[in-house]
Amino acid sequence: MGNQKLFKGSLQTIILKLLEENDKMYGYEITQKVKELTRGELNITEGALYPALHKLEAEGLLEVEVAKVGNRLRKYYKLTESGAKETVNKLAEMQEFLKTMQYLVNPKLSLE
Amino acid sequence: MKVNEQQIDQLFEFTRKHYVEYYDVQSELVDHLANDIEEIWKEHPNLTFMQARDRAFKKFGIFGFADVIKARESAMTKKYWKLILRFTQEWFSPPKIVFTLGLFFGFFMLFQLPNIEYFILSGLAIGICIEVYNWFMGKKQRQFREQKKEKLFLLEAMIGTTRNGFSGLALINFFNLMNLTSFDFSSFSTEWLVVLSLVMTILVIMFNVCTFVLPNKAQELLEETYPEYKIVKSL
Repeated sequence: MGNQKLFKGSLQTIILKLLEENDKMYGYEITQKVKELTRGELNITEGALYPALHKLEAEGLLEVEVAKVGNRLRKYYKLTESGAKETVNKLAEMQEFLKTMQYLVNPKLSLE
Repeated sequence: MKVNEQQIDQLFEFTRKHYVEYYDVQSELVDHLANDIEEIWKEHPNLTFMQARDRAFKKFGIFGFADVIKARESAMTKKYWKLILRFTQEWFSPPKIVFTLGLFFGFFMLFQLPNIEYFILSGLAIGICIEVYNWFMGKKQRQFREQKKEKLFLLEAMIGTTRNGFSGLALINFFNLMNLTSFDFSSFSTEWLVVLSLVMTILVIMFNVCTFVLPNKAQELLEETYPEYKIVKSL
């Protein structure tokens, strides 16, 4: 299990990135996909996922679609136009952050 | 193993017991719990529905659904304010701006009349009475719907009963301010009268939007906000 605190600030970027690749996803699907991609290293908690999704929706970065699946309603999230633009920005920010961290934690390697 | 219809109902009841009052939040959580229960059953087929449900619920952490409810409420409050602004803005562009200008100049003229503060105070008191009456009726209606276990959406409650958080309080505050400071409008300079007229105009428009416009357009706004609204109401 990785250090969850390190991932916490990146939750919105992770959600946006997943939705960029998958068109539309529902909450539970996001948790499972992250688990699968990180081979169980990152476990998004339910108490953090939905507040993040609702915040992104309120900011107009996500829109919702609801479908009746079996005996229940399922809420799918998808990127809006501004959400797609924001994803590009957030990913660039993330790359920059990783590069900076690399300078800090591995100065020798980053000088090469 | 799949979660059946009866168990879905039990999950709705479970979310209600954990203080999730609104259907839009409940339905998303129920789908999440049901998915997780089915996943848990794949690994532990011997677990009962209740045991699997409790395992799924534990993953929400010690605060249970509280964080989800809080985030949803804050997101919807944002949405509600955006709606108020959207409909208030209409009064500042043609053709409604004619009425707004009329209101503004009306206030400006009124404020220059002698002893007008008593009339303004009476007007505010009437506004407060309308709000208290609407709030009381809204609360009664909500209790009735809850007893009937009707599906209530968060934005629906905001448009209906909780709007008083804004307009009622704004009116009461203005009333108190005028009452306590014994306003005498005739002693005000023209600049202050302009500011005051503008504030009163905006307040009256927002009061109208919260009290009459939004509740009258509730159906349309709920369908616009919740894609599931039509499906749910047709069930």
